[in-house]
Amino acid sequence: MYCKKECIAMLLAGGQGSRLYDLTKQTAKPAVTFGGKYKIIDFPLSNCINSGIDTVGVLTQYQPLALNEYIGNGASWDLDRTRGGLSVLPPYQGYKGSDWYKGTANAIYQNINFIKQYNPDYVLILSGDHIYRMDYSLMLEEHKRTGAACTVATITVPMEEASRFGICNTNKDNSIYEFEEKPKNPKNNQASMGIYIFTTKVLLEYLEADEKDESSSNDFGKNIIPNLLNNGEKLFAYKFDGYWKDVGTISSLWEANMDLIGDDPVLSMMDESFRIYSKNMARAPQYLGPKSTVTSSLVCEGCRINGTVINSVLSGGVIIEEGAIVKDSVIMEDVVIKAGAKVYTAIVDSDAVIEAGAIVGKDNVGKDGITVIAKGKVIKVADAAKN
Amino acid sequence: MAISAAGIIFSSLNDNTLSRLTSDRTVAAIPFACRYRLIDFALSNLVHANISNISIVANYNYRSLTEHIGSGKDYDLARRESGINFISPYSTAHSSSVKLFSTRLEALRSMKEYIDEFKEDYVVLMDTDNVLNIDISDVIKTHERTGAKITIVTKTIDKAFSAKRPRMMISSVAGKISDIAMSDTYTERNNELSLGIMVTTTIYLRKLIEEAQAHNLNSLTSLLLRNFKNENYRTYNYKGYVATVTSFLDYYKHSIELAKNEEARASLLWRKEAPIFTRVHNSSPVVYKSTAKVEGSIIADDCVIEGTVIDSVIFRGVKIEKGAVVRNSVLFHGTYVGKNASLNCIVTDKDVHISDGVSLSGNENMPFYVQKRRKV
Repeated sequence: MYCKKECIAMLLAGGQGSRLYDLTKQTAKPAVTFGGKYKIIDFPLSNCINSGIDTVGVLTQYQPLALNEYIGNGASWDLDRTRGGLSVLPPYQGYKGSDWYKGTANAIYQNINFIKQYNPDYVLILSGDHIYRMDYSLMLEEHKRTGAACTVATITVPMEEASRFGICNTNKDNSIYEFEEKPKNPKNNQASMGIYIFTTKVLLEYLEADEKDESSSNDFGKNIIPNLLNNGEKLFAYKFDGYWKDVGTISSLWEANMDLIGDDPVLSMMDESFRIYSKNMARAPQYLGPKSTVTSSLVCEGCRINGTVINSVLSGGVIIEEGAIVKDSVIMEDVVIKAGAKVYTAIVDSDAVIEAGAIVGKDNVGKDGITVIAKGKVIKVADAAKN
Repeated sequence: MAISAAGIIFSSLNDNTLSRLTSDRTVAAIPFACRYRLIDFALSNLVHANISNISIVANYNYRSLTEHIGSGKDYDLARRESGINFISPYSTAHSSSVKLFSTRLEALRSMKEYIDEFKEDYVVLMDTDNVLNIDISDVIKTHERTGAKITIVTKTIDKAFSAKRPRMMISSVAGKISDIAMSDTYTERNNELSLGIMVTTTIYLRKLIEEAQAHNLNSLTSLLLRNFKNENYRTYNYKGYVATVTSFLDYYKHSIELAKNEEARASLLWRKEAPIFTRVHNSSPVVYKSTAKVEGSIIADDCVIEGTVIDSVIFRGVKIEKGAVVRNSVLFHGTYVGKNASLNCIVTDKDVHISDGVSLSGNENMPFYVQKRRKV
């Protein structure tokens, strides 16, 4: 069936997120919980629907079970459509053989036929690693206005961190003359956000060429973007100035969660004009008992709190018994913290149980002293001493 | 074998005794327990029994109800086959006057042709003003096992109650109904209160509707009264928590009970295998600021709490400013409570604005109601 779309999105969600250690042992990074009720992938998917993009291919590879279950048919983001909508695209066996996705560019290459069936004028390449609200339609307008072959979204990062990113060196009109992947001596601090809009014809041409190049590592930042520049294609930077955070490490994930709390939070999920959608779990309203204290925190549906919660983010269904204390921590779905237990500066993954009287983590140690409790782990008083 | 049953929910019976809450919504659409409407409980009970052919009988004032239910997706009832079907009074080419349904039987008579098409073996009839979380499949299985013609779910009452309208009180001997009385007070003899849930076979329901037609009866109650002595009509005695909402005071007391009583919450809201479904709003988690102080309350998403909340029920999107104190109150969706305001025994309807420093107080036996969008 012929169904033309102006712009479709390809969301790279196959990364392992190895620097999140225990949190991504059983789960792909895009399916990691953030801000209580969200998963990281809710952000790019909600951005798509809020930008009028209704066709999204989600490329999965690493530990896809939890991610697939979470995404379903895309209904949570209003992406269950008769024409277009959300499609999960895992690596597959073909006529000539089968291959894992070798790199970001190769992942898109293997799904060229998916792109072609919508005959889009533009393709938006996204990753499932970041927390941000962005209207991609504004970037697309800019891409059309400049007539670029490719537009790269960039964000200003602190100069001392610039060497961790792909840096875009631009002219006054924002056209890019040089792209340096993780430069030792960065010339400026405009970092690529890993968000690209390509004019489809150019994208397909360069993917085909990249696939034939055996020395290529099949990566957008390392190969495709430099190749475009070398061949004199028009590349433009699109400067984004909203909240954007890479949550690829334990400390950055914890920090981004802490950005949501306090009396004047850096990031708020309350913005009604740009909702972030997530899967509904049909949980009961939260209950705070007569002896509870909850301050400077974010608390989700289904929580039952009889203890003390300070400066923390609680996902759905968390139970905190009498006398328990949770401070400066991120507590994921259905964790049980029993009577008198104490949790300081920690990320506790879903279904973990902190037994009565156990102590997890240290107080007032900040982002460099975070304790991580793996999914489903039971922490007894004796175990806690080892932490 | 899987149970094959259809559900019929009567959404707008008994609107009249809940005047304030139903001035522009039907009983089924009354907000309850932070994030639900009364019909969510009936619908969820049916869905958990794998019932997917559900008719909702709606008389009038059902805009907020249809908006709430939508396609039925949030209840997993947006199906190719069956799903949710609204039944309302209609006019025809030959008669332009629309007669509202005043009893369940009138509604059933008007939908008789539709019931004739039911492929399901059983039919479950439900009201929405009895709020409970019951395993309907067990009621149907019991109905099947006992060979009853009709099974009515009841709750044994051991003390006097004051109802705004007569309730169906039943007495039974070993489960078989031995007496039915319409009464507004408790009597020792008829101490089983009907919870408005009735199970029968589709065939028997059709026969009852025809019988009513033949004898010109206009209510289900008169049919039951006519037949119970000669037929095997039985009760299914329910032991869990029920909030029966026949008056504004009932509504208020049951709401506060959910904040105060663990058993009520456990029976109604916390059954792991039977969560209550409702319309999804993609709201943000609740934000508690540094000055927040909450004791014994249930709270829905999208709220911002800076003040004090005690023994209260807080719906979605409520903002409680610094220094404000809310006690024994029920605040509907979008209520704003300004700085240093004080509320005690208050029910605010949707989008009420309580300005800074305002103090309002009712009494737990006479709570004060603030109507929709009112600025105080």
